[in-house]
Amino acid sequence: MEEQSRNVWIKQDDPKLVSSRHKDIFEDILEDRRHSSDVGWCLRTRDVPTYKNNKTRTIGQIKEHVLASDRVKYAVEQVCMESGLPTDEVWGQTKEILEEMSHNLKLGAIRGFAVFLVKVLKALFKRIYVNEEGIQKVRAMIKEYPILLTPSHRSYFDFLLMSFVFYHYDLPLPVIAAAMDFMGMKFFGWLLRNSGAFYIRRSFGDDQLYWAVFTEYVQTQICNSDHPLEFYVEGTRSRTAKSYCPKFGMLSASLEPYFKAHIPDIMVIPVSISYDKILEEKLYAYELLGVPKPKESTSALFKARNILSEDFGNVHIHFGDPLSIREYSVGKVDRSIHNLAPRYIASLSAQETDLLKSLAYDIVLLHLKHMVISPWSLTAAVMVQNKEGISMRQLVREVEWLKRHALNLGAYIDWPGNESSDTVVRSTLQLHKNIVAINKEDVIELISMDVPSHVSEDQLMQSAAQHLMLSIYRNQLMHIFVRVAMVSLTINACTQDTLPLDDLYNKYVFLEHLLNRDFIFHPEHTKLDFEHSLLTLTHNCGVVIKDDCILIKSSTNKYTTFFSQMFEPFLLGYWIMCRCLLSSHIDVHGKPKAKPPKVITKEAQMLSARLLREGAIKHLEVLSLDILSNGLHALHHMNAVSKEKRDGQAYMYPNAIVLTNVCEQLEKFLDVPQIPMTSILVESKTVVINAKL
Amino acid sequence: MAGKQRLSVIKQHIRANTNAPARTDEIQVSCSNCSSTDDGKVSFQSEAPTIPKRRQELLKWNGWGYKDSKFNLNKDGQVEFGGERYRLSGQTMPQLREWMTATVGISLDHKTPAQPELTAKDIPAPVKNEEFISELRKKAIPFTDDCQDRLFRAHGHTLHEVFVLREGIFKRIPDLVVWPNSHNDCVKIVNLACQHNVVLIPFGGGTTVSGAVECPEGETRMIVSLDTSQMNKILWVDEKNMIAKCEAGIIGQDLERRLAEKGFCTGHEPDSMEFSSLGGWVATRASGMKKNIYGNIEDLVVHIKFVTPKGVMEKSCQVPRISSGLDIHHFMMGSEGTLGVVTEVAIKVRPLPECKKYGSIVFPEFENGVACLREVAKQRCAPASIRLMDNQQFQFGSALKPESGSILTSFVDGIKKFYITKLKGFDPKKLSVATLLFEGTQQEVAAQEKRVYEIASKFGGLAAGADNGERGYMLTFVIAYLRDLGFEYYIVAESFETSVPWDRCLDLCNNVKDRLDRECKKRAIQFPPYITCRVTQTYDAGACVYFYFGFNYRGLSNPVQIYEDIENCAREEILANGGSISHHHGVGKLRKRYLKQTVGDIGLGTMRAIKNFIDPDNIFGNDNLMIGEPKL
Ligand SMILES: Cc1cc2nc3c(=O)[nH]c(=O)nc-3n(C[C@H](O)[C@H](O)[C@H](O)COP(=O)(O)OP(=O)(O)OC[C@H]3O[C@@H](n4cnc5c(N)ncnc54)[C@H](O)[C@@H]3O)c2cc1C
Repeated sequence: MEEQSRNVWIKQDDPKLVSSRHKDIFEDILEDRRHSSDVGWCLRTRDVPTYKNNKTRTIGQIKEHVLASDRVKYAVEQVCMESGLPTDEVWGQTKEILEEMSHNLKLGAIRGFAVFLVKVLKALFKRIYVNEEGIQKVRAMIKEYPILLTPSHRSYFDFLLMSFVFYHYDLPLPVIAAAMDFMGMKFFGWLLRNSGAFYIRRSFGDDQLYWAVFTEYVQTQICNSDHPLEFYVEGTRSRTAKSYCPKFGMLSASLEPYFKAHIPDIMVIPVSISYDKILEEKLYAYELLGVPKPKESTSALFKARNILSEDFGNVHIHFGDPLSIREYSVGKVDRSIHNLAPRYIASLSAQETDLLKSLAYDIVLLHLKHMVISPWSLTAAVMVQNKEGISMRQLVREVEWLKRHALNLGAYIDWPGNESSDTVVRSTLQLHKNIVAINKEDVIELISMDVPSHVSEDQLMQSAAQHLMLSIYRNQLMHIFVRVAMVSLTINACTQDTLPLDDLYNKYVFLEHLLNRDFIFHPEHTKLDFEHSLLTLTHNCGVVIKDDCILIKSSTNKYTTFFSQMFEPFLLGYWIMCRCLLSSHIDVHGKPKAKPPKVITKEAQMLSARLLREGAIKHLEVLSLDILSNGLHALHHMNAVSKEKRDGQAYMYPNAIVLTNVCEQLEKFLDVPQIPMTSILVESKTVVINAKL
Repeated sequence: MAGKQRLSVIKQHIRANTNAPARTDEIQVSCSNCSSTDDGKVSFQSEAPTIPKRRQELLKWNGWGYKDSKFNLNKDGQVEFGGERYRLSGQTMPQLREWMTATVGISLDHKTPAQPELTAKDIPAPVKNEEFISELRKKAIPFTDDCQDRLFRAHGHTLHEVFVLREGIFKRIPDLVVWPNSHNDCVKIVNLACQHNVVLIPFGGGTTVSGAVECPEGETRMIVSLDTSQMNKILWVDEKNMIAKCEAGIIGQDLERRLAEKGFCTGHEPDSMEFSSLGGWVATRASGMKKNIYGNIEDLVVHIKFVTPKGVMEKSCQVPRISSGLDIHHFMMGSEGTLGVVTEVAIKVRPLPECKKYGSIVFPEFENGVACLREVAKQRCAPASIRLMDNQQFQFGSALKPESGSILTSFVDGIKKFYITKLKGFDPKKLSVATLLFEGTQQEVAAQEKRVYEIASKFGGLAAGADNGERGYMLTFVIAYLRDLGFEYYIVAESFETSVPWDRCLDLCNNVKDRLDRECKKRAIQFPPYITCRVTQTYDAGACVYFYFGFNYRGLSNPVQIYEDIENCAREEILANGGSISHHHGVGKLRKRYLKQTVGDIGLGTMRAIKNFIDPDNIFGNDNLMIGEPKL
């Protein structure tokens, strides 16, 4: 029916029939694999771009370089001198460290692995979307400068996907800094090593030798750009689908060659990987509650094979603009500071360390900026506030409302333009049918969500797990709202008619300190963030300012209430942590008893459980060790908790005066149950946010 | 060296004097125009300097070198080099045009000819201090206020200065040129200048590439260019101590030629030696190509006579070394005309070498070459000169190939012979060439050659013959002339140099090149820039690196500004890479902004304190170094 076309230049007349292989800036790279031979694809010749100053080296030559380097020689000498060990022995250790660390990237192994991987990916995902333009930029940059790939990290699949994407686009395969955890897995450990993973111990603090080998190993590969180097600034996989605060070690080690002027520049490429459905959702939920996760062994991964029959929706991979460390540091550092010592001896300057911290935050913030928010995240956010169930009509309305505001705040939402909201929400509910169900009255409920008043610990944890799975998806969009919420929380909690902006800002600063671990705030942008948020609220959300004061009555509305409520579980968790610390605080010889953070967190979780069971509070999320531990660290950061080392382990103890003050401030944002100072006996009282509506 | 050998060397140089007495215990040379006394002193008759007072009659007024020597496009559209002074003179270089088109996008249809010669009406009228002038006249010291003479002494040879000559006029030029004939004349001139508050700018050969002789634009006092060119006598050579006492205005070519007539040399050969002066070398801390044998200027100088506003500064003895507190020679060396004028210098001389031999080595890549030079320096067996060109410079050398049939064949031809036999596996797009100059006795040279080539082979280097080496050195002289051809076709180009520790040498080369390239892109320069470098000197602790950088500025309106901005970026990069403000060109006005970072506040303060003591009224007010704040 060719004549059916209204216009000759239109090939596909029915928009519904246009495939979604191309979508906005994204392109699906799985589509081709579904129509051609996987083996052929894996064996094809690849014409990859290389760095202009690269000298081809074998893996053996890289290792030889490391062992012959000034840095390692120097470290060996130092260690011999300090320990009195014979040189041979120290060299022996050095070689062991290097062997343990090194990758063994082999195209052969990769090709074999690729056949297997592509089949798995096709089985798991509908589509893998990549922004092509980002890839073009990477391709151009690879020739010019060494490349650092810094993807977000929310699943094991992150680095498999990264390598897959690079393989697909004929780009040089990255080598990946992996944590030691994998090395235990026999087959996978080997496979990953051969696919370019190299292993780094999680902590090697002041082990000079390890540090030297590690630094040299990483830096020589950067300088010669044998491969793009990939690592996670967040350090580990996020179990909460929120970004973790960045770590600086790997970033400084890999960018140091620029500061020491070994190379003209390094390009950092932030990559945001967004999953419609996270494979590890269940594992994470248990882990957050402290139920020990199954050890990462090969057999466990293989058992996960029944996972292959499940549908995990789409993945979106966004390659951000290459960020030049040279440009980033213009005017901020003086590299000539390193002129007076051999470059392998001196460490980075304070200026440089600060700059790197700032960069690390920027990378994570860039991840967040380019995350693709799925309709399910919006749905989950609404569901979290309607645990008793919500009608389909109401849900769709709320989701649409939230979507509009997320968009206004700069979120990228994966919302098909040609579908009705109802269809979109229903299909997303279908994808996550293990968490929610639609009952006969068209009411959406969490599966096995109800918490009977007196249940065993186990049952409480079971329903909490289900609830945490939901909250993980809500978490995917929390970063969008956190700043406006911090303003809203204060407005909502205000008991006067007007609130001076200065006070509002002070509260904002207080909340930023508290939420510092759970959300990513650039340390230098507090004021700016505050101003932007306030603007958003006044322009869009009915907040009224007059004479440098907020008019509370007109400003307390659906927006401010909803935003505040989103963050209620976090504040409640912190409050419980405060109370736990205060109530268990026993003076031993004039000093409160110090405990390891893990123990404190666990105690706080017990308090949460108790309050929940007694119905005093209702947010199951406060059972999350992650929130509690983040709270503890934020309190430490705020000087309300002190830290000391005992036997090389961290111990913490409350700083009663500051802590009481923080706790009191927190209580202004929440309605909290009363807990007597000395015991954890609780009067039953419900905690709700100071909602004015 | 044995007397006989020595004599044969001398014979080579002084053909007129074949019957000199040859005694094994004492060597003396006598000839018609010199007299030697029993105390070993050889004296010289005075001779007019090669460059006349009216410099513009022999030299280009708005470019480099002799008027008769320049690159031209002949009627066939091919590049040829004029005159008959150089080995390249009268030759056509058929590949050069092609090379220029390919590397910097020169197009013959787009010319940028220079403005016609300036005449009196174009040149600013002089500021006159009549009392000073009449006193000069009384003292019978020659001077002039001729506008062409003044203009010629208003500049050195930076891109900016030559561009001004081609396109405009300096805001400020000297108001008077004086030609002292002796140290005493200088004392008188400086005294008068102090009395009448007149600014003095010493002028030697005017080859400075740091803006050092340019007049400060804001200067309202009369500015006098103190041209030392007439102070060109070699006062005597003391054979016992092997020292020549010379007036500071003698230029390199005259000094070496005249010493050679008596069997000596100083061995100081900066690339500008045809025109630059002994006083200029001292004032800028110059460095010669053959420093590995003879030393840099600071190693060569034994005594300096220095006229300052406070009086004459000099040491009371002429000794090989001294511990007498701060070394006043080191105030004079590198003073760049800010403290006083160098009038006489006792400089070390050496017998002329018996044997002089060129050589070259091809390396698969620049990196191998750097490693080799480093090893040579470590073993302290560097020949008189050893220089390493990167691939781009090697390509350029090839493009200078004159039409066949001449003695000068190209690098490529020279290397091709090896290429066929040995160089398989060398990528002509990557290989790098070291040029060598050996000096000494036959045996010394043979031993040095053996050792250097052995080291080279450890780094993948292959000896590639003497011709290639010789051509490499010729290239250095020619490149200064080539810039003037570029000027005619929208090309601006310049060289700059630095010194750097060995461990950072290669990285610095790569990073600076990358930076230059990047800054060009940023400024929307449409054609690929020409960026190349070479390692020109080796030391125990590091090397000297030279960069050439040029680009085609078609489509851009302010090429000099753009060039300078980019060079400043490159200098920043150099400093960040552990390199220095300058190895030998000096600071002048061009690099003032980096002086503080280099020597620190106290260092700068100390320099200023010395200046304030010696010259409180800023008579030597050329605005170089630490004087005033740098113009950014
Ligand atoms: C093509 C080319 C190649 C070069 N190659 C080299 C090289 O290989 N090595 C090197 O070191 N430099 C080199 N230079 C730079 C330049 O030749 C040196 O700086 C040289 O020492 C300057 O000497 P001049 O006599 O020309 O001094 P001028 O240019 O006349 O003056 C330079 C500075 O010294 C001062 N000055 C000059 N004479 C006296 C004096 N008698 N007393 C006190 N102050 C004085 C002037 O006031 C001025 O500040 C090169 C320059 C060019 C253009």
